[in-house]
Amino acid sequence: MKIKKDVRGQMEAVGLVVIVILIALGMLFMATFALKSDPQKKIFTRKGLAYSTMSALMKTTVSEKAACYSLSQGTPKIGGDVIEDCAKYRDVDTSIYQCIGPYSGKALHSCDFLAEMVKYSLNNTLGSWNKNYEFHSQLIPFQGEEPIDIIQPVVVGGCPKWKERDSSGLFPINTEAGLVENSLYLCD
Amino acid sequence: MRINDMKNKKMTRKGQLQMTETIAILFIFFILLLFGVIFYFRYQKIAFQEKQEELLAARAMESTLKALFMPELICSRGEAEPEDNCLDVLKLNATQETIQQYLDEYYFEIFSYATITVQETYPENKMWVLYDKPKPEFTRKEPTFFVVTLRDELAGTEQPEYGFGYVSVTVYS
Repeated sequence: MKIKKDVRGQMEAVGLVVIVILIALGMLFMATFALKSDPQKKIFTRKGLAYSTMSALMKTTVSEKAACYSLSQGTPKIGGDVIEDCAKYRDVDTSIYQCIGPYSGKALHSCDFLAEMVKYSLNNTLGSWNKNYEFHSQLIPFQGEEPIDIIQPVVVGGCPKWKERDSSGLFPINTEAGLVENSLYLCD
Repeated sequence: MRINDMKNKKMTRKGQLQMTETIAILFIFFILLLFGVIFYFRYQKIAFQEKQEELLAARAMESTLKALFMPELICSRGEAEPEDNCLDVLKLNATQETIQQYLDEYYFEIFSYATITVQETYPENKMWVLYDKPKPEFTRKEPTFFVVTLRDELAGTEQPEYGFGYVSVTVYS
């Protein structure tokens, strides 16, 4: 009788083990689904896109149609002449470059033109692909001083810190007014 | 005699009960097993589809990089390092024709089934279709975009003009 009881007990223990194994397998599957990282392509595209957008924007020159008034010859570069002019004359009504904005069609102060140009360029690329982004252009007058936004940050959708986002990295431009750091955050 | 009959009947009933219990346990076990098998095959199916998507995405990345660094398109100046994220407009105009001419003989080996276009958004709105070979009856397509600057040597007065645009690479499977 005792042997029969022992065998039954063993069988019940085996059944319990089977159930535990099944539950463990189920949890393993769930964990595999839950901990699946972002696909490589998504990360590559977001990082690469943020960098390439910023790099292209900084290299872009203002077209002759914008009729920028300046003493220097040649077409002003966004990531050079325009940003430098804006940083220098941000508190003054007039600036050296008075370019016609792509949206307003009016001759604008270099800071207003820069803001309009950034909005126009990003809206036609990242905006048309339904990406959320943030563009910042900040002037650091002297070391240790608080950075000042030379233009209002261009925010579409917004990429706060808690959101999964990628940055273009800092694109620093040395100007007479100080160092201007430009950055672009991109998120889905 | 009667006592023996009673004992036999009791034992038979007990045996029947145990058999029903065993059958019920086996039934539940096989139901669970069936659920497991269905779940596993569904998972395998999804995993296979994901793998296919991953492979397509990898091909999209590869094709985009190839297009961005093509010597036929990238901004170069003599023996100096080529400019990154920059395409030469003069080269774009010339390459468009060349790619069409040697599409099957040469470029198909590089890009396979894909469509590559370059779109200028500033100062003008121009578009160049560099490579267009969509897969017949494709089931899936994966577009990838990259923003570039477009150097036009003929547009500027003293220095070349740099426009703003993007490259779109779509791959098919």
